[in-house]
Amino acid sequence: MKTTLALILAGGRVDELSVLTLYRPKSALPFGGLYRVIDIPLSNLMHSGIDRVGILSQYRSDSLINHIGSGAGWDMIGSQRGITMLPPMKGTRSSDWYRGTADAVYQNMEFVLRNKPDYVMVLSGDHIYKMDYQELIQFHERMEADVTAAFVQVSEDGIERFGQALIGDETKEGGHLLSYVEKPRQIISSWASMTIYLFNLDALVYIMDEMMQPPATEHFGRDILPVLLDKKRVFAYKFYGAWAYTRTIDEYYQANMDLLEEKTKLNIEDWMIRTNLDNEHIRDRAPAIFGPNAVCHKALIHHGCEIYGTVKNSILFPGVRIEEGAVVENSILMYNNHVYEGAHVNRVIADVEVIIGANSRVGNNESEGSNKEYPDILKSGITVIGRNTHLPPQMQVGGNCIIYPNKKESDFTKTQVVNGRTIK
Amino acid sequence: MRNTVAFLLAGGMGSRLNILGWMRAKPAVPFGGCYRLIDFTLSNAMYSGIQQIGILTQYRPYSLMGHIGSGEAWDLVGRNRCAKILPPSTGMDDYDWYRGTADAVAQNFGFAERYGAKCVLVLSGDHIYRMNYAPMVEFHKEKKAKITIAMMFVPWEETQHFGIGITDNEQRIVDWEEKPEKAKSNLASMGVYVFDFDFLKEMLVRRSGNDFGKNIIPDAIKGRAVFAYPFMDYWADVGTLKAYWQANMDILHRDSGLLLGHWSVRTNYDEDSLPGDRPPARIGLSGRVVNSVISAGCVIEGYVSHSILSPGVRVEKGAEVIDSVIMHDSVIQSRAKLVQVIADKNVRVGADAQILGGYADIPNEKYPEHLYSGLTVLGKKCIIPRKIKIAPNTIIEPLANEDSFAQILLKVGSYVKC
Repeated sequence: MKTTLALILAGGRVDELSVLTLYRPKSALPFGGLYRVIDIPLSNLMHSGIDRVGILSQYRSDSLINHIGSGAGWDMIGSQRGITMLPPMKGTRSSDWYRGTADAVYQNMEFVLRNKPDYVMVLSGDHIYKMDYQELIQFHERMEADVTAAFVQVSEDGIERFGQALIGDETKEGGHLLSYVEKPRQIISSWASMTIYLFNLDALVYIMDEMMQPPATEHFGRDILPVLLDKKRVFAYKFYGAWAYTRTIDEYYQANMDLLEEKTKLNIEDWMIRTNLDNEHIRDRAPAIFGPNAVCHKALIHHGCEIYGTVKNSILFPGVRIEEGAVVENSILMYNNHVYEGAHVNRVIADVEVIIGANSRVGNNESEGSNKEYPDILKSGITVIGRNTHLPPQMQVGGNCIIYPNKKESDFTKTQVVNGRTIK
Repeated sequence: MRNTVAFLLAGGMGSRLNILGWMRAKPAVPFGGCYRLIDFTLSNAMYSGIQQIGILTQYRPYSLMGHIGSGEAWDLVGRNRCAKILPPSTGMDDYDWYRGTADAVAQNFGFAERYGAKCVLVLSGDHIYRMNYAPMVEFHKEKKAKITIAMMFVPWEETQHFGIGITDNEQRIVDWEEKPEKAKSNLASMGVYVFDFDFLKEMLVRRSGNDFGKNIIPDAIKGRAVFAYPFMDYWADVGTLKAYWQANMDILHRDSGLLLGHWSVRTNYDEDSLPGDRPPARIGLSGRVVNSVISAGCVIEGYVSHSILSPGVRVEKGAEVIDSVIMHDSVIQSRAKLVQVIADKNVRVGADAQILGGYADIPNEKYPEHLYSGLTVLGKKCIIPRKIKIAPNTIIEPLANEDSFAQILLKVGSYVKC
């Protein structure tokens, strides 16, 4: 069997995720009531039998390094298998921060060559999907391709943020990559790049030796693919499974809330995602405890949660505690949130370790407009609270609000934060 | 806790747990949703700083061996840290099966010698409690004791099940009664012992019998070197079906002292070798959960009240689960109703079935001493037909299926064979 080395590009942060990526890259973002976004590609790799993985990280790597641990969570441990963290380093050919996907691989070619794989698969750490990469590899082999990229059909709304492809119609699974444009002004196709690339080793070596012109060449999508079409056999693989993207707060919220629907395409019961149970002390936590007056429906609840109040249409990560008389609805509360008696939380994303004081009201259903300071990032009414912020009792926080991390009770001088405000 | 090695006695078959113990040793019986009984003692040892534990097994050890695994779940892995399974073996002296607790330790004494122990901690693997053993070992050293026994006061009517000690005002044990019919004290042994290494070595050689409680302890008391270490917190022996059910229910009562949410008990999540981790529990739109423990991977579309659910349990629409303990991956189908039921792993209860426990004056027909308090027990992987009605004190054997049931009405105290 041919060997595949996977490289996950997990370094980036984006402004669109606001306070959620102040302290972590977006690949380390908590997802689905238990996981981190990077668990998705790692679990896909594990189930596809690809167990030699490099993770290219650079922004705030510590949370990612903690999460990956030894790699045992994904059975990627042993003499022939493993996960290697690859931060930027000195002593490589260009010795600098990673400037893009191609540049990151360029700087780690020594690692690639040392592993002597037949194929190199480059993935990004921020897509939500279930995929058997072996099917892509088989397609690649059948087509005798040098390079194969994966594409998924998306609606027109938001497609401008993706690379788009015209794909030959040789088979249902895909065909020749006829043309590729990175984030075009005008839509050329409904097939958007999933930033999954499979290279024959010699094709990758060719790209690195002949096509890279640092520092100008940065991205596979923008700088390499469009030119590579004439030089190598480049194919496009069409992915028909469920897929979601978590690049904005709305997308992140929606991708999570979709898991609560009964007929969801991304069904986590069948998905078989692995995570690292040692991270966030998941292993040490007792099963969820529901009190005598608990009310709970349409919710995801994990170990360590204690529910004495009301939870509706919400996702609670491990260790969230909802006191008696508190109401949480339409919200995502990450690890160890504590909502005190009588508080009402609605349409809120609260990062880890947030405390919501007694009888406070946070978020609402009716807010219009957008966040004043970041109107492009937050306009759907959701309120986002950064990690380890403690909201005092009786606090009133509206919709479209952003509260920065690590705010102490005494940092709130007024008891009200009106719709659209940002507290830094 | 350097120089202290622990032996964990995990060989018991727990016959009074009836069908729960047929396929596994007693310490491997599931408890509290995601745990097995032995997790409580192993976690105590871990948090006490014990680095080497020998686990003495004998009866049906496979569940247990799979569960202990490498010991990594309790951080008992490394060059000097280990959780080692010690099964009976034939050796130079052609030993046979373990003949008692002291014999089991005697046969494996080399384990303690290898690590240069000065103190030997002997634990049992089937009690629910949280205890730091380090202060007990300190107490043992301060008292210059040869043996220290952790002891607690139990209700007088239960003294017949325990080793009972009578102490002087220095907490020295001056008299001992093993499971007395009429006790002189209600200070009972918890089955947690600290031994001076050299003393234990000598006692095991000169022993008059093979049991700590019956032989070694009474012999040592004559030498006035045995002390009682007091323990005041929650402790439960879950040796009977009734006690097993009650201890599970204790989790739901904050004043019971069994504060599972605060104990940080560790278990081994890897043993099931599932392809994915258990996802969060999903409470559906029609689901209602009150006063219960719900583990990861559960899907609740029905009503759950005052119950303990292990990982992967499914309660379908219209089904009701009340005052029950339901183990891994069991499915309660639509509109079925369960009251006071203990269901082992992978049980399927058919739609509209009614298994209604509650006190009834007729005990189980085959095991009247095991089941009389109104519970009904469903064996591992059994299938309960739809629309059946089952009265209290009933036992359904593991692997029973639709063909095992002759009628659609089971009277009080029934026993259904596989």
